[in-house]
Amino acid sequence: MIKLENVTKVYKGDSVALRDATLDIGKGEFVFLVGASGSGKSTFIRLLNREEVPEHGKIFVAGKDIAHLGAWKVPYLRRNIGYIFQDFKLLPNKTVSENVAFALEVIGKPRHVIKKQVPAILELVGLTQKMNNRPSELSGGEQQRVSIARAFVNRPLILLADEPTGNLDPQTSVGIMKLLDRINRTGTTVVMATHDRGIVDTMRRRVIELDRGLIVRDQARGVYE
Amino acid sequence: MAISPLYALRETSINLWRNILLTTATIITIGVSLLMFGAFFLFDYAVANATQRWEGGIEFVVWMNPEATPEQNANILDAITTSPEIRDYEFVDQDAAYEEFKDIFSDTPELVEVVTPEVMPPSYRVVPVDPNADVVEELAGQFQGRPGVKTVVSANDTIRGIQDLADRAGLFLFIGSFVLLGAATLLILTNIVSAIRNRAREIEIMKVVGATNWFIRIPFMLEGVAQAMVGALMAWGGLWGFDRYVIEEFSDPDGLELLAGFQVSDNEFFTTSVLVLGIAIVVSIVGSLVAVTRYLDA
Repeated sequence: MIKLENVTKVYKGDSVALRDATLDIGKGEFVFLVGASGSGKSTFIRLLNREEVPEHGKIFVAGKDIAHLGAWKVPYLRRNIGYIFQDFKLLPNKTVSENVAFALEVIGKPRHVIKKQVPAILELVGLTQKMNNRPSELSGGEQQRVSIARAFVNRPLILLADEPTGNLDPQTSVGIMKLLDRINRTGTTVVMATHDRGIVDTMRRRVIELDRGLIVRDQARGVYE
Repeated sequence: MAISPLYALRETSINLWRNILLTTATIITIGVSLLMFGAFFLFDYAVANATQRWEGGIEFVVWMNPEATPEQNANILDAITTSPEIRDYEFVDQDAAYEEFKDIFSDTPELVEVVTPEVMPPSYRVVPVDPNADVVEELAGQFQGRPGVKTVVSANDTIRGIQDLADRAGLFLFIGSFVLLGAATLLILTNIVSAIRNRAREIEIMKVVGATNWFIRIPFMLEGVAQAMVGALMAWGGLWGFDRYVIEEFSDPDGLELLAGFQVSDNEFFTTSVLVLGIAIVVSIVGSLVAVTRYLDA
């Protein structure tokens, strides 16, 4: 599903964010990206979503080299990739269902499809009762569930999560991880950057550790360190 | 992927409403600048129509002495008919001149009573080939002072004065409208940039979930176009008033005969309206495109 071949990303000032990275992530895998701040986790995720372009190397997503993808094709790539933010990034003036529907509306999905898919995804994340609430009326965990619903409502092949539990307490984080695990079981590939040692150690999934841009560990059923 | 008209309308309305004060200022500036721009064209049409009427009519008149000899009259007639620079002429004899005099001074019969056809000077009303003011003046000068000629007069000086005045007024309107159109373009740009910053999070989400650039851009561009269209509508109303209450007043049949042709046809008004609309669209697209390409795609 995801393949990196000798990928290097250098920022201005010769700061190397990712150095000669080569790896494969299969369909339906659940991968944790771990490492200290500045190790390159976020850059890794941004490269997969084509928010960044590498200086060297190739990145294949679903068989396509996205490093050399035309700019006009990027939106179509992103429709196959869900993105979950640490700070949720919900629209405060929209209700829960409107926030989720927004993701479908702006890619031109017909109204009848939106009406069908939004309630279904809200049921999956357990927010049916709060579909008419605004984000300010929800807890942090609930807001992250809305963010997950928005990322998954279009049934993407890949879900990228950049520290999705970073703003949540441990108990709420467990709930969010159960939800991501459930989504992963539908065949969706999940790549999650995290600092949460407890979650990584509990779930025992593939762990890729980065250190100053280098992949220093790639371990199946791994632990945080 | 087609953008839903309902979505575009909703998002454009939200953008406009969020910045209602700036939106209003932009619309007024666009309206005033387009009004000035359109007024320049209407004024230009009116002046062209008026001068065309003058140019198509008598350009200069060679007044003969009533006592001029037949030989002197024949010389002048010969000079007129053989000149390649003269397109046409009309000879107004003393009786015809007297009839014209009676018409002109019909309100003052006491004046008409003391004048007889014998004292009226006959005249040649000459239409040159080239209506250019300098050419006409030079041609008229050739008849001045010739034997039998009382005087030569032309409307050139008056026409020139009016044309100069019209040119200066037109230039003022033209430059003023361009300055204001520049300001209007910047206001549209500022308004859209402000809307883009207000909706930064929405735009970020749209990009992340895979909305195309055009899908994101269109509501912002429509915002610029909507402002320009309302401004153009205001300008159109102002131009209608300018035509109806200013230009048409000049050509009032009871007013100055020289300005009788100072008017704008329906076709010319329509052309000006289309031009104003076109300029509005160009201004809005330029302002919007700069805003979305420079601030949205960054």
